[in-house]
Amino acid sequence: MNLKKEEPRIGVFVCHCGLNIAGVIDVKAVIEYAKTLPGVVYTKDNRYTCADPGQEEIRKAIKELKLNRVVVAACSPRMHEPTFRKTCAEANLNPFFFEMANIREFSSWCHPSTPKEATEKAKEIVRMAVAKARLLQPLKEIEVPVTDRALVIGGGIAGINSALDLAEMGYKVFLLEKTESIGGHMAQLDKTFPTLDCSICIEGPKMVDVGRHSNIEIISYADLVSVSGYVGNFKVKIRKNPRYVIKDNCTGCGECREACPIEYPNEWDINMGVRKAISIPFEQAVPLVYTVNMDHCIECFKCVDACGARRAINFEQSPEEVELDVGAIVVATGFDVYLPVEDPLYGYGKYDNVITALEFERLILAAGPTGGKVIRFSDGKKPHTVAFIQCVGSRNLKKYEYCSGFCCMYALKNAILLKEKYKDEVEVYIIYMDIRAHFKGYEEFYRRARNLGVNFIRGRTSHILEDAETKNLTIRAEDMTLNQPIELPAEMVVLCTAAVPKSDAADMARALNISRGTDGFFMESHPKLKPMDTPADGIFLAGACQAPKDIPYSVSQGSGAAARAATILSKEKWKIEPIVANVDPEKCRNTKVKCGICAERCPYGAIEALEGKPAEVLTAMCHGCGTCVAECPADAITQNHFTDEQIFAQISAALDENPENKILGFLCNWCCYAGADLAGTSRFEYPPLIRPIRLMCSGRVDRDFVLEAFRLGAGMVLIGACHLPYDCHYISGNWKMKARMDALAPMLEKLGLSPQRFRVEYVSAAEGLKFAELMKEMGGQLKELGPEKISAENAKIKPILDRMMAKKKSTGS
Amino acid sequence: MRIRKSEAGNCLIIERTQHAKKYRLVIDRKLCVGCELCSLVCPREALETKRQLKQRGQKAACPTVDVEETKCDYCGICSAICPFGAAQVNIDGRDVEVVVEKESFPQLIHEISVDTEKCPPDCVECEKACPLEIISVKSNPKTKSVIVDAQEEKCPACHICEAKCPEDAIHIRNIFTGKLKINREKCPSSCQDCLDVCPIPNALYLSDKDGKIYVNEQFCTYCGACRIACPEEGALELSRATIYHTPVRSGAWNKALEKLTSTTEMTKELRGKGRKRTMEAVKRRMMERKK
Repeated sequence: MNLKKEEPRIGVFVCHCGLNIAGVIDVKAVIEYAKTLPGVVYTKDNRYTCADPGQEEIRKAIKELKLNRVVVAACSPRMHEPTFRKTCAEANLNPFFFEMANIREFSSWCHPSTPKEATEKAKEIVRMAVAKARLLQPLKEIEVPVTDRALVIGGGIAGINSALDLAEMGYKVFLLEKTESIGGHMAQLDKTFPTLDCSICIEGPKMVDVGRHSNIEIISYADLVSVSGYVGNFKVKIRKNPRYVIKDNCTGCGECREACPIEYPNEWDINMGVRKAISIPFEQAVPLVYTVNMDHCIECFKCVDACGARRAINFEQSPEEVELDVGAIVVATGFDVYLPVEDPLYGYGKYDNVITALEFERLILAAGPTGGKVIRFSDGKKPHTVAFIQCVGSRNLKKYEYCSGFCCMYALKNAILLKEKYKDEVEVYIIYMDIRAHFKGYEEFYRRARNLGVNFIRGRTSHILEDAETKNLTIRAEDMTLNQPIELPAEMVVLCTAAVPKSDAADMARALNISRGTDGFFMESHPKLKPMDTPADGIFLAGACQAPKDIPYSVSQGSGAAARAATILSKEKWKIEPIVANVDPEKCRNTKVKCGICAERCPYGAIEALEGKPAEVLTAMCHGCGTCVAECPADAITQNHFTDEQIFAQISAALDENPENKILGFLCNWCCYAGADLAGTSRFEYPPLIRPIRLMCSGRVDRDFVLEAFRLGAGMVLIGACHLPYDCHYISGNWKMKARMDALAPMLEKLGLSPQRFRVEYVSAAEGLKFAELMKEMGGQLKELGPEKISAENAKIKPILDRMMAKKKSTGS
Repeated sequence: MRIRKSEAGNCLIIERTQHAKKYRLVIDRKLCVGCELCSLVCPREALETKRQLKQRGQKAACPTVDVEETKCDYCGICSAICPFGAAQVNIDGRDVEVVVEKESFPQLIHEISVDTEKCPPDCVECEKACPLEIISVKSNPKTKSVIVDAQEEKCPACHICEAKCPEDAIHIRNIFTGKLKINREKCPSSCQDCLDVCPIPNALYLSDKDGKIYVNEQFCTYCGACRIACPEEGALELSRATIYHTPVRSGAWNKALEKLTSTTEMTKELRGKGRKRTMEAVKRRMMERKK
């Protein structure tokens, strides 16, 4: 059956999305307009197309009216394209005969005060979608085998729960931990809110379970080197750092530690205590294997003598690289604690008795470096007044805009612990902006602190002073209740500092090809509906690597991410989108001359171009960015579902009327398109000038697309890509595009085009505001240039571009 | 944790203060002669002996020791190796050499024996002779006995007192033995920096005959201060052969030996002890150095 030759029968379904679309856009007008488009045989508006009745309408229409193409004008394809593809499939229509027109994020939400223009824009977006739909071709989803093993990165409480749940489901789990022991931040804490149970007492058994589970292999003291492959088939390279202790021989007895003469600050104890050059970071470490720190070891080999016949110490060890095959990855890398060393306000690092809350945890912990004695650094004496200062770094537009979430609760907990331990001997103050105690049992806990006589002062700290002699502190703050400045003497100040992204989060994001938000934490696929997914299929997030989270929240997310990973691991085969590239062997010139440009430019090495033979795409390795398609000098490569023909049809549909007043945008799916979506979701208003064409990667943007757009008279052309150098979802598609466009731009200028008419911009998925600002800026420029100047320039260059494009069409597609 | 460095009372003090423990290393500049020993053996390379800038027309000043405070682990090796007793580690108020306590490093053996029977009455030649001023002679007129009080831990065994003693009553055992040679062809003329910085008078001397510097190995302590001061590479050749120390079985000591003496000397010692593993460690380090 050759469906290509079948006459298109297109159904257009326009969604009201309640009032989200219909509140701005005249849906009836869009429907009427859609009816006039060639190939459209049916139109229908729905209040909620994605709801079951809406989907049923589509299924019914496909069956009854023999529709062979479906266009839904509603929200972003990043949201509901999979939903409607499934709807089509249920009605026995190939899911790739579906096309989405994004009139919500790209029109109603971002142009609320210009409903007329928004409606016009919506019509044109529908026209573009219908134009593409006419040329859609059926595709068969590609099935890949799934490796039923998982990698969990990070052995904190979230990672531990993910690993345990996956292991209990029967999957083999590799738990990768950077430090010597699993446990994470939770293992450093004293008690936990709101029940005051001892942190390590409840986490310890879980750590032991992980260590003992036959399905879990802990790979600790190891670094992630690289991740390649794709959902169901990841290849992960890990470097195991040498411990100089043989894991299987070490009994954890600690005799080597006794013999060792060298003590160095224990980072795990936030340098408040010391550890030996051969030691474990803390007594409950899992795996219980000692480690020699070669930076400090003097190689006296006293440990070797102490170890004796066990022969567990081996100074010959060297780093070892291993490669793992896994089907899914859970990222649970956690957070760092902000240290306000550069902030003169708090005097941290300068004043002896100003410490962070994590340092306080180590102080009050019975197993801590001081044996649970809360003492001052300056004189080793017990403080009589302790003040907790909230929101240090957090909720601060100059530092970290977000609320770190758990600081209020741990400050309450520490205040209660102090009160219960030292009774009336200690006066406790909490200086806060708002107390956020909104989960189960938290508010009651807050009341308990108040009843114990903890003093709460609402206000912001302006300055802390130290008495040079006594090392006592004076906090200057504004008391908002009294509405006046106050001075509060304190013998110890505890800073409740922000939880910040891990210092190596950028490297991790690059290795995994996942994105980060403006706050630096890893970004989820959807803030509400896919809070544990990443844009990379098969990679999930758990715990504080996504945003600060307390223990119960991290535990639930750990389990949630495990369940998400299991949806992949439980299948024998996983379907991936068949939007891969194909080479037409007839057109490929590698048969005649040595070309191989596609093979060279492919970011994944997925193309083979052997001498004298046409190039060939290795489908399983192709990620579908389309860079090779744009690079091919003979136009011999096609990308399924993003063919040249389809994109040219979208271009001409977009520029059919008043082209000089429009900005034609080629936006990459993962960054710029997502950023534009975010601008819509955030309701940032901007002029309704852009006509977006979504491509998977900016690497797909062919020079010809730009030339064609200007040939048809486009006012401006924008290429929106992921940020250089590392943000590209396809490793380097943005670089390939940049090289191409860097060569094109001067040529266009030479032909007489104003340089501002052709823009390449880099907008991340988190930069909705940047996209809106860019649109305003370009809109202003377009107005400044004026339609006359643009038309004049167009008239000048049109014959040249006509010739160029005609030549293309005669030789190429 | 706070790490501080300060100079007070002619001492260089570095401190690491933690909630649980306090560490301190004091280098007494009055005792320190600016030799190379501690900087050679420090496993963290935290100590550095620096040559001082020479003022025109003035004598070369003694090299000084500086400590990189963030590197020090307060292990006590510098204190154990200093023959002048200039370095002292203190942990939580206790003077201590942890490496010595844990038998990871030996102590130098300072041995001064005085036969006071031989001492002539009222003779203070040794006290006068000692360039480091660590000997004091007291005589008890009642009993006619003499007490020679020498601070052994500060004595580098220069033998000057021995040479000056009229009755051959005082004997010092060598701590370091070795060879100090001046390469005439490389030694720049009209420079006597080595002589200026040498803590022991007459260990180096300017010859009246040819105006050049000669070594009197009888008095040399092989501390290496001259080598640091010498502006011309290879003009001074210093090699140590043996070190008199308390017995120890430790890789760290072997490593130190290797730096203080030479690989040949050390392998000799190792072979004597039959230490296979430490030999391997030495080989490994040599390989690394080649890389």
